Amino acid sequence: MFEFLFKYPPTVFARGDYVFLSPWPVWWLGALLTLVSVLLAGTILHRLRRSSGGKAGWRPVVIWLLQSALAALLLLLLWRPAVSVATLKPQQNVVAVLIDDSRSMSVRENGRTRREEVVAALNSGTLAALREKFQVRLYRFGRDLERIERLDQLTASIPATHIGAALKQIVTESSGVPIGAVLLASDGSDNSGGVDLETLSEIRRSRIPVHTLGVGRERMERDLELVDAVLPARTLADSRLSAQVTFRQRGYAGQKAQLVVKEAGKILASQQLTLGRDGVPQTEVVAFNAGVAGAKDLEIAISPLEGEENPLNNAVTRLVNVEPSRRRILYMEGEPRWEMKFLRRAAEEDRNLELVSILRTTQNKIYRQGIADPKELEAGFPSRPEELFAFHGLILGAVEVSYFTPAQQELIRQFVDRRGGGLLFLGGRTALADGGYGASVLAELLPVTLPARKGTFHRDRAAVELTPQGRDSLICRLEDDPDRNVQRWKKLPALADYQEVGAPKAGAVVLAEWNSGRQRLPLLVTQNYGRGRTAVFATGGSWRWQMLQDHTDRTHEMFWQQLLRWLATDSPGPVRLSTPHPVISDTARVPLRVEARDKSFAPVSDATVVAHVSGPGGVGGEIELAPSSLEPGVYSGEWLAEKPGTYLAEVAVRRGSEELGRDTLVFRREDGMAENFRLEQNRELLERIASETGGRYYRPRDLAKLPGEISFSEAGITTREPRDLWDMPAVFLLLIVLRTAEWFLRRKWGTV
Amino acid sequence: MRVRLLQTAVLLLLGAAFLWAWQRRGLPFLSFEEDNPAPIPPDAGEKTEFYFARLRYPSVRYGGYWGFRGAWSTDYPKADRQFLQGVRRLTRIHVRSVEEVVDLDTDEIFNYPWVYAVEVGHWNLSDAQAAKLREYLLRGGFLMVDDFHGTWEWDIFMASLNRVFPDRPVVDVPDKDAIFHVLYDLDERFQVPGIIMFSTGLTYEQDGIHPAWKAVYDDRGRIMVAICHNMDLGDAWEWADLPQYPERYASLAYRIGINYIIYAMTH
Repeated sequence: MFEFLFKYPPTVFARGDYVFLSPWPVWWLGALLTLVSVLLAGTILHRLRRSSGGKAGWRPVVIWLLQSALAALLLLLLWRPAVSVATLKPQQNVVAVLIDDSRSMSVRENGRTRREEVVAALNSGTLAALREKFQVRLYRFGRDLERIERLDQLTASIPATHIGAALKQIVTESSGVPIGAVLLASDGSDNSGGVDLETLSEIRRSRIPVHTLGVGRERMERDLELVDAVLPARTLADSRLSAQVTFRQRGYAGQKAQLVVKEAGKILASQQLTLGRDGVPQTEVVAFNAGVAGAKDLEIAISPLEGEENPLNNAVTRLVNVEPSRRRILYMEGEPRWEMKFLRRAAEEDRNLELVSILRTTQNKIYRQGIADPKELEAGFPSRPEELFAFHGLILGAVEVSYFTPAQQELIRQFVDRRGGGLLFLGGRTALADGGYGASVLAELLPVTLPARKGTFHRDRAAVELTPQGRDSLICRLEDDPDRNVQRWKKLPALADYQEVGAPKAGAVVLAEWNSGRQRLPLLVTQNYGRGRTAVFATGGSWRWQMLQDHTDRTHEMFWQQLLRWLATDSPGPVRLSTPHPVISDTARVPLRVEARDKSFAPVSDATVVAHVSGPGGVGGEIELAPSSLEPGVYSGEWLAEKPGTYLAEVAVRRGSEELGRDTLVFRREDGMAENFRLEQNRELLERIASETGGRYYRPRDLAKLPGEISFSEAGITTREPRDLWDMPAVFLLLIVLRTAEWFLRRKWGTV
Repeated sequence: MRVRLLQTAVLLLLGAAFLWAWQRRGLPFLSFEEDNPAPIPPDAGEKTEFYFARLRYPSVRYGGYWGFRGAWSTDYPKADRQFLQGVRRLTRIHVRSVEEVVDLDTDEIFNYPWVYAVEVGHWNLSDAQAAKLREYLLRGGFLMVDDFHGTWEWDIFMASLNRVFPDRPVVDVPDKDAIFHVLYDLDERFQVPGIIMFSTGLTYEQDGIHPAWKAVYDDRGRIMVAICHNMDLGDAWEWADLPQYPERYASLAYRIGINYIIYAMTH
């Protein structure tokens, strides 16, 4: 229809430049348009004065507009408007046809596979029509681009789809071959993370239009797909871990499903879910115990549902490094308190935690517990960075801020900001606002804005309630089942006391509140600060959870162990080795990053950083990581994981003869799994590639139009020629409409 | 009719006043349980971190639990209040100036992780009370027992303690145990006599010649029951203000008591 009315396909109008072919100057056109409009207006006014004394309302204006439009259109045609568009020269250009040959193309829909659908669409005349005008080169791609001679060479068996890489290769090839256009046939199931902006810019610069042919159903009718599972890359032995599992389903809304976490076939956690609305991503949190130290290969899966179209996308695997190291936490308490006794007891039961405490028993004496040797902390709270930074976490109890010297206060700030440690503030009669923290340098570290007054600590019972964030937090997870967990919190004995801490700061997360009956105020608040994290637990009375419940009840111990592990687990050592994705799919490249710091956690940029890697089948080697010019103390490099399997990397950082530290990391390469996911056609991606490059998205049934439209391209060998617009049927139609409208109105209103 | 109404109103008023006075501990005529009455400090109602909980238990010698005065209240309340003055002065513990009497018939004891029992050579816990005390100790409560002497009282003490912990031994506390060093180093310990010393001239009572610091430990090596046998720390606290009572005894009694409290609050 468009081409019938406008003579050319839309691509011509989108890509062309508009010109006038008449030799007359364009300003004449403007002047004539004005003159004709004025003359028409004058004529109409003159007639009006003669017939009705000049009082005829808005009707003459409409007639004048229609007459002026008609005159303007006729004048415009006299100037010969045209569109100038670049066109590929016949037989001199190459059209590259890129066909997705990954495993997802073997999915069978409506009686044939996606590969067969592509082949059928091309063989229904499109390929022949293209070959009449151009040289056609066929390619297949999965992980890489490969030239083929015939369509029957397609196998739909490559275990990965990297559309961006294929397009990059074709752009590179265009430097030696006059590629005028590209046809990309795919289901859009790219599993290399999509097509990045850099690739799209590169294609745009080459001016090659990429037309896309989308195959595959855009929507599965009955399927559940596990989209992602987020777990920490590292944790301590026996830690409670949580996996944040996101999935999407169609056709099963309201039904029950079983979310399972397995390690080597052994079920670590199982949780029943109620599936939400169709097509809407749903996130659930499942908690489980990390177990003993070692690399944990976890499978997170939702059991296949009845009649699922693709049961292979119900599970993902994740790798977690469970570390055997212990975390040392320093607890500074200003006066003997029950909270300290029971907190110590809870920590003592956790073999991965080591709680060292300093207690001011009298005005001039301190009592130390958990020290490694009699000399440790002999002088009280540390004054030197290397002494304080040896700890992973710090707890400040009922101790007024003035107990610390200004240098010690700054050291505490640096403990969180630079060292990356965790800092927990407890409530107490000389803590928080009542301890003068609001006016100190430590106020910045608090996740709350303290009230500017004293008397905020109350020795009255307070009931605790979890917030929605608290329900999902591992700190507050006393039961694996989320609903049972909430119920258990509701039954907890009241706290012995509480403290008002003011409003949470932006970015802080309130996990629990105390409920006085009249109001709910923050009790447990966490936030990230610098490289570390801080929290406030606004009470000194959680010991009642221990004393007021049966001695076999583990609530108090679990809560404190989880809070202390949160506080200290992510506090890095002086050397930290990491990679963005511990499990990589269908690629060999593993970026390694090392942060190197000295004992006072100052970045070290003059170290030698060597990573030793050992992998499956005895492969291995070592690479030296190079310092970053942008980030002090950061070293990076890339390991090529040639074979699928699990790899262990150990990095050693040395400065001269001194070893600053070591760290280890486990990562795994897995091939072929990604093709099981995102099986619905990713039309959005295909349309974006087409629109960003000047191409067009086609469905198989529309592909016959491609040969007619593909010629308009500025890549390859082209010729630019103007195409007349005056003889478009749409112009004549418009002329008739304008004239007819005027005639109709004149008849209806009488003579003007 | 009016007279009866008036009588009822007066009785109700008196009853209310009685209850109020009972709760406030303010009336001397209610101090029939008090062995040695002491003035009530003005801050007696203060809410604090530490409360000196005194255990009220049924007694062998005196029979009835709610009897006129059981063995549990020996030295009460002067010893408690005088000791608490010392705790306040010598430590940073936020302490209430008066004691709190608790028993094993309700769950109120669980709000007081420290409890002191005196004259336990006369206690006689029922099975239910023993079970509650066991639960209290296993949850993390701390019991200090004092002022019982000789073999006969030891046996009575053990009869009830065995109902609490049939399977846990009572052992001597070694000198290096933290309880003797948490604040004061108590390597040099000696027998602290009661006021009876003035009439007998002896520092011991019955056949309890040698003072013994014993304990029941939990599975992690922490003291749950601290046993001060053949000594009378309570008397030393009670009579610390008596010029004739030797300072060295009072001083040691205070130090032991304070160490035990800080130990209970840290272990």
